[in-house]
Amino acid sequence: MSAIALASLFLCWSVAVRAQATTDPTPQLRVLRAAASALGQIRMSDIGMANPPLPLVDIVTTMEITGNGTVYTNGQPVMATYTAAFAYIPQAMRVQIKPGAGTAARTIQTVREEYAWNESEPGAGLIPGKGTATPAMAAAKSRLLQLWILPYGVVKAAIAAGDKTTISTAQGSTVLAFPLSGALAGVTVTATLDAKNFITKVVTKPADAAATDLVYEAEYSDYADHGEILTDVKSPGHIVQRLAGKPLLDVKVTKVDANNPYLVFPLPPNVKAARAPAGSSR
Amino acid sequence: MRVARSCSIAALVVLAMASTVVLAQDGAPAPRRQPTNAAPKPTGPTPRTPDGHPDLTGVWNGKGDSLTGVPNQTENSGVLIDDEYSAHDIATGTRIAAFPRPVGSRFGTVAISGNEGERAATLLRRIGSNRPIYKPEYWDEVRRLDDNANEEDPSNQCMPAGIPRAGIPQYIAQLPDRFVFIYPGQGGLIATQTMYRMIPADGRRHTPLQKLDGTYLGEPIARWDGDTLVVDSWGFNTNTWFDQVGGYFHSENMHTIERFHREGNTLTWTVTVEDPDVLLQPWTSTPRVAVLNRDPHAMLLEGYPCHERDLGNSVTKEHH
Repeated sequence: MSAIALASLFLCWSVAVRAQATTDPTPQLRVLRAAASALGQIRMSDIGMANPPLPLVDIVTTMEITGNGTVYTNGQPVMATYTAAFAYIPQAMRVQIKPGAGTAARTIQTVREEYAWNESEPGAGLIPGKGTATPAMAAAKSRLLQLWILPYGVVKAAIAAGDKTTISTAQGSTVLAFPLSGALAGVTVTATLDAKNFITKVVTKPADAAATDLVYEAEYSDYADHGEILTDVKSPGHIVQRLAGKPLLDVKVTKVDANNPYLVFPLPPNVKAARAPAGSSR
Repeated sequence: MRVARSCSIAALVVLAMASTVVLAQDGAPAPRRQPTNAAPKPTGPTPRTPDGHPDLTGVWNGKGDSLTGVPNQTENSGVLIDDEYSAHDIATGTRIAAFPRPVGSRFGTVAISGNEGERAATLLRRIGSNRPIYKPEYWDEVRRLDDNANEEDPSNQCMPAGIPRAGIPQYIAQLPDRFVFIYPGQGGLIATQTMYRMIPADGRRHTPLQKLDGTYLGEPIARWDGDTLVVDSWGFNTNTWFDQVGGYFHSENMHTIERFHREGNTLTWTVTVEDPDVLLQPWTSTPRVAVLNRDPHAMLLEGYPCHERDLGNSVTKEHH
């Protein structure tokens, strides 16, 4: 075989290999790869040049988002600083709301898997005499759901749903719909992507219409890398949330730590001892 | 035209070759190669010393990685790649999404381009869920140290990595009453100076902690627990972190229990860190696996002279 033929052989082989490497097998995975890439959520998993090439993996494990704006408590608007620290392994979230000067005290609502509690300070109740952890098991599902309406949670849950995730188009936008599983089985999530594949709107719908604490709407806009330490992870600069049709949150993001920061959610002994009421979503 | 004709011919050849490969065995499709970062399966016998213990003697750098005790950084960070579409967190078994690599991405993250690759590697090194649980009053301090690692990481400025951050030694000499561990100086993630440990295995007990001056390596004592070598150390100074990243500081009361288990040509290492002054509970690392250098005459190369070059050029908080 001539040199040209050999070169052509290599060229054709390379093209074939490359074409194969870019084709995800399902439309769901193609859309989800695009959404995850837009968020900066997936990266090649081999570090350095000494190791064999490895796939891209989801690198979002922990994150903290802080914003200023209006938080609604019992329907009443309060200007506050909102901080959501969250983790996906284990599934956990700690939301701190610090009202402006002269108003109510800060609240800390925490959830880890099926356990929910309120803290007088971060980590309260872990060491005897240091703060109070009050079990709030009835709120576990509603708090846990907030983890999955964040853009990163949408991507994770939609991938986990596999073939149950559907893709459609509405008013020119791509729309994902998928069921949640585990403690949130029965809840369906619908997410809308913009032209840049950023998730701009998320709506949740429980199978039980009476479970109004699981009816969330979230809107996200102004995506950018907001971190002091740049990570190329994009996060929304403006977050609006509604619960059961009523406003819950409207904040402008001021700070993001997406560098998988040290965020831990150990269970206080008294919370661990408490039991969630079976079947309740509130 | 000649190129087009050649391509057509080549395409036919490729088709024929592909058909041969795909139907290589009994007409069944050949299994697709699954990319994984799983530790290699042990091969060969486990040699033993005359006293019956596994012989750990050897040069443990068979995977050729350039970082001390870090032969597989993503796995060491707690994530195992199962295949092109699936990975999982080693500590919990939780599935993590994966996708095949994009076109042309032959090399690792650092090669994507300078900043993008470093940022990706930084995230990957913090991806696993196996994190030590500090007392709540130290949570902010751990984050501050990690966020400001360029200035705060005690292994910068060519200081010793210390124990247990050094991980698996690249060389172990096993004698009846002692072990010698050598950790050559390295560049990369922890640019650090060469360290060595001479570890007695003669049944002695620890010196009382209050009589020890804290050191980078502490006072180690070795013993056998079945076929596993246990190295128990205390008497540390507070100038080190106890894992590769994360800002995991410790007190002078840190107590470490390292476990080395040889199986064939592999050596598995874990460490349990006890430090009731700062930790809420003891922490055990994700297991790391080193591979024996297959050359029976292998020698350690001279360690790199440690010279800190980067810190003076740091203008942001981006780091490893």
